[in-house]
Order: sequence, then structure tokens, then C-alpha cells
Amino acid sequence: MGQFLQQLINGLTIGSFYALIALGYTMVYGVLKLINFAHGDLFMLGAYVGLVTLMGLVVNMGMSASLLVLLAIFLIVMVVIALVGIVLERVAYRPLYRAGRLPPVVSALGAAIFIQNAVMLLYGARYRTYPEEFKAIVPEVIWTVGGARISLMQVVMLAIAFVLMAGLYIFVQYTRVGTAMRAVSLDHDIARLMGIDVYRIIALVFIIGPALGAAGGVMVGLFYGRIYFTLGWGYGLKAFTAAILGGIGNIPGAMIGGLLLGVIEALATGFVSDAWKNAIAFVVLILILIWRPTGLLGERVVEKL
Amino acid sequence: MSKRFVVPLVLLLVLTPLAGCAPAAKESIKIGLQAPITGEYAYEGEGFVKVVELVTGQINEKGILDGRKIEITKCDDVGKPDESSKCANQLVSAGVKAVVGSYSSTCTEPASEIYNEAGLLQITPSSTATRLSQKGFQRFFRVCFLDDRQGLFAANFMKELGAKKIGVIHDNSTYAQGLAEHTKRYSEEAGLEVVIFDAINPEDTDFKPILTKIDGLGPDAVYFSGYHPQGGLLLKQSRELGTGFKWIVGNACNNPEMVEISGLDAAKGTYITTEPLPKDIPGDVAKKFYDDFVAKYDEPPASIWWVMAGDALRVIVKAMEETNSTDSAKMAEYLHTKFKDYPGVTGNIIGFDEKGDRLGTVHEAYIISEAGEFEMVK
Repeated sequence: MGQFLQQLINGLTIGSFYALIALGYTMVYGVLKLINFAHGDLFMLGAYVGLVTLMGLVVNMGMSASLLVLLAIFLIVMVVIALVGIVLERVAYRPLYRAGRLPPVVSALGAAIFIQNAVMLLYGARYRTYPEEFKAIVPEVIWTVGGARISLMQVVMLAIAFVLMAGLYIFVQYTRVGTAMRAVSLDHDIARLMGIDVYRIIALVFIIGPALGAAGGVMVGLFYGRIYFTLGWGYGLKAFTAAILGGIGNIPGAMIGGLLLGVIEALATGFVSDAWKNAIAFVVLILILIWRPTGLLGERVVEKL
Repeated sequence: MSKRFVVPLVLLLVLTPLAGCAPAAKESIKIGLQAPITGEYAYEGEGFVKVVELVTGQINEKGILDGRKIEITKCDDVGKPDESSKCANQLVSAGVKAVVGSYSSTCTEPASEIYNEAGLLQITPSSTATRLSQKGFQRFFRVCFLDDRQGLFAANFMKELGAKKIGVIHDNSTYAQGLAEHTKRYSEEAGLEVVIFDAINPEDTDFKPILTKIDGLGPDAVYFSGYHPQGGLLLKQSRELGTGFKWIVGNACNNPEMVEISGLDAAKGTYITTEPLPKDIPGDVAKKFYDDFVAKYDEPPASIWWVMAGDALRVIVKAMEETNSTDSAKMAEYLHTKFKDYPGVTGNIIGFDEKGDRLGTVHEAYIISEAGEFEMVK
């Protein structure tokens, strides 16, 4: 029982990272029908910018590591990556919107390779580690619940992930801009007739998605301590899978898909074998897609605006 | 750019190589270096380059074969097998006379087929998978030692530690899987019970599910045969989960970066089975090399594999001098038969057997100290 509970906690932690990154894929797909393959690499870039900010604030400027500093780091990184997201949209995607659906996907792959190599050249092809100083931000507390261990760090990471996801959900469902965003995802032309500035909404999606991905990057850096320039590929692939699993274009779907994928992986490892984990996870994915071709929650929930 | 500039520029481009050739004394001898200069194992690849450049400089002071110089042609295989084949073809067509490389067994395996077909002498500094030398390639050598010796050493060491139930974890790479299988076999022969034998996926960053599973099976010790980036994470997450077994890791974790990744608290007390560290290698040649390296780069060579790359090159040069030729077949013949007791920078090289494997063994157990240093277990 303790084993099962521990694997559940392990899986939820892994899954919350997938979910956070999956949101970026799903939002862009929702409004543009474009799979933004560069999203995983924006996430990775976030982890690196987070490291630089952390070094700058804590190590160079001698600020003591506190919750306030942690918050500042998240804000700075999210803003920086949001800017990168806007530039990416302007340079790599906007010129191609009229060219059909495939050219922007190819452009996205190109952008992914560009970001990955740029990071490799800027920061070197070595593993980077978040310095020990950050540990003081979150004190090392570990609880034992029913034979399973959960650390304060894990709780903080889960909490940040859920706050960000809930915030996004509320924003999209209950604000005017959020409503406009949903309208754009239904039909660009009709939305434009209703007086919505479609390009502004698209730009906004490219602010929010990358910012959430960047937050995920900082969290992975803080939690696992080790980052690498190909990090985006592995996480990006899993997050993309999570988005499909939940129903691409659907925000709650991405959250559920991410958490579910994490838990399936953990249980597959725990009760079968780690070497078979990915095979099992993808078999489950295929079965779910056979049963529900548009993902668990469906590609888009039909609704009245 | 206006035409005014184009003409001189073209002239410059055309004439520069000619100028370089003008005082051509004697043609230099090209030797290939295939290494993961970028990618996952870039740390080792960069070290190969540093060591090979140092050794090349020393050799070129005197020159070989009547004052000819050696020239290193580098190729980056990124640590990936497909890139490795490209690299091998590239070096073959560049006309190298012999090759040092590559780092991982996964890369050395496909490259060795290509070098073999091209009839080139290849010496790998660090690929220890047993099956590499089982293919009957006459010109394939290694200056490192085989996995199965390390597996035997690891099994006996765990028994000495008093372990009865053990786990063995690898990462599905050619090298780590080989080492894990040998360790498992020798452990069972030594009377230990192997409760889990599984592989992690090196692309992952979260290994808590498998650690939870291992801990549930209650082994006394777990042997990890993979590489240090994953080793560091395993140690770190193992501590976070509060697992109750001892970690013993293989020689691919013999790298200070592992402690950096895991954090000191998680690393200390971990055992490592490995060839001795550069600073612990016996012999005057080895000590002089260590000092030369520190003098040139202001840091000690971080991993044994860097130093092995130095010996791979030195053995090639030695073979060229002894046979007075750059013919791979002659050099290989010499290395198989006459090459004996050569004072290497990795200690004495007794010689090579008929498969091209280095004779003898040097494995030692290290423990990570309170200060995060690797200390030899006596």
C-alpha cells in the first residue's frame, strides 16, 4: 500500500510538470491549429534563464535566498520567455499563417532546433546544476504519510503548478479577454467580425503559453537540480502526448492528460519495469485514442458564448 | 558587398593555402580523433581534445619518422551511433593513418566496422564493452580494460561489504548493459541474490518510481553501471526518498560532476568501482604527464578516460616509430606481437592480447568522502 501511494505521489509530481508544459501546446493549437514544436525548447530555455537569474540574484548580488527571491526569479523568467515567445510568433509563424497548416509546423521544428543549438553554444554542451543555495528557499521537511514520503519541496512544486493551471483556467473561462480567446479558437473570421483583434489574441497566447512553460523550466531546475540543452525534447514529447491524451486544444484536458501520463509511467515502472515504462504509457495512449479519438475530454467542448 | 572588395577577397582565399604550402618541409602524418565533443558526453570529449593536444604538442617537439609532425583531425560524433558512422567515414576520407576513439561503446561499435573495412588502426581510450573485440577485427585495440573484469571486481567488492541481496541497474547503452550483465553473473556466482535487474531511460530526469520499487524489494546494495549524469540524479533522489541500501556505481560515474549533480549530502558514502584516478596512477611517466597537464590547463585531468586518450595516441605513435611506417597492418602486427611493458600515462601497459584487449587489470574501489573527494578504499 505504501508502495502504491508513493508511486502515486511520484507520478503526480512528474505529471504536474507534463501538464504545465502541455498547456502551451494545447493553447497554441486551440487558437492556431498549429503544433508549436518549439514549445519544449522554450521550456528548456526557461530553465537556463532561471539558472542565470538565480546566479545573478543570489550568488552575484548576494541576496539571501528567500521566498521573495524565488517569486522574483519566476516573474523575471516568465517575462523573458514571454518576450521570446512573441518574437518567435512574429518571426517564425506570423509570416506563414496564410501559407496553410504545414509550413508553420516545419517552421516550428526549425525554431526548436535553433533554440536548442543557441543554448548549447551560449551555455556549453555540459550539464548545468542549480546551485545549492536555493535549497535554503524551501526548507527540507519530509512527511511520512501511510508509508509514503513527500517533501515540502514536492508540495511547493505541486502547489505552484496547480495555482498556475487554475489561474489560467479562470482567466480563459471568466474574463473578457479569455472569452475572446475562446472565440478566436472557434473561428478566426467570425471572431474578427465580432470586433476581436485576432492577431492580438494570438500574440497573447504566445505570451501565456511560453510563460507557463518557462515556469515549468524553472521548477524542473529547482526540483531536479540538473538541466541540459536537450531537456526540452524529452519533456516536450511527453507534454505533447499529454495534450493529445487529454484532447488537444482543451485546457482542462491538458492538465488531466499530463497528470494521467505521469501516474501511468510511475505505476508501469513500479509494477512492471522501468525499461518498459514508455512502451506501456504509449500503449495506454493508443487504447485511449481508439476509445476516444479526440482525447479524454474531446478536442473542443462545444459551448455557447 | 561591392565588386571592389570581391576580387581581392577571392585572391586572398585562393592564395592563402598556397602560401601555407610554400615552405612545406615534410608532410605531416594525419591521425584521427573521434570523440563526443558536444552532446551528452561532451565533458569527456572536451577532455579527450585537451589531452590529445597536449600529447601532440609534446610529440611534435621532436617529431617522428625523421622529423615529421603529427596532425590531429578531429570529428565530433555527439555520442550518438548514427553520427558516429558519419564521423568514421569522414575521417577515412580525410586520409588519416590511425584513429583514437571513440568514447562510448555505443559509438565505437558502428565506427569500428568502418575503420576495419578501411583497414585502419583504431585504438579506443574508453569503450569497455566486451563484445567490441569479439568481432575478429585485426586492427582494433583498446587501452582500457574490459567490462567483465570490472563486473567481477564489483561482485567481489559487494560481497566484501557484506551485502547478501543486491540490485543491478543499467541504462540500456551497450557499455552499461554489458557491465550490468557481467556484474549480475559474477554476483550470482559469488552467492549473492540479485533481487532486481532493470534499466532506466537516460533521457528521464525523475527516477523516483524505480527507486521506490527497488527499495520495496529490500536489497543491501545496488550497483548502477550507467553514466554520471543519471548516477547523480539517482543518488539525489534516493536520498530524498530515504532509501535504505548502499550505492555502488561503475566507472562511467567516475567524474566529479556526479557529486555536483547529486549534491554532497546525497553523494557521500557512495562507492565507485573504477580504474584509478589520474592522481593515483603509479609510475614516473604518469606522474610527469599529470604535472604537464596541470601546468598547461591549470586544472587536473578530471577523468581517467581523458588520460586513456593520451595513451591511445602515444601507443599509435610508438607503433609508428617502431615499425618505421604508417601502415596500419604493420602497426597492428607490432602491437599484437612485440609490444610489451610500455610505460604509459595510465600506468604500465603490459601488452595486448590477440583480440586487441589490454592485458592485466587495475580496478580499485573508491568512496566519496565527507568533503566530496574520491578516496581509494584500502
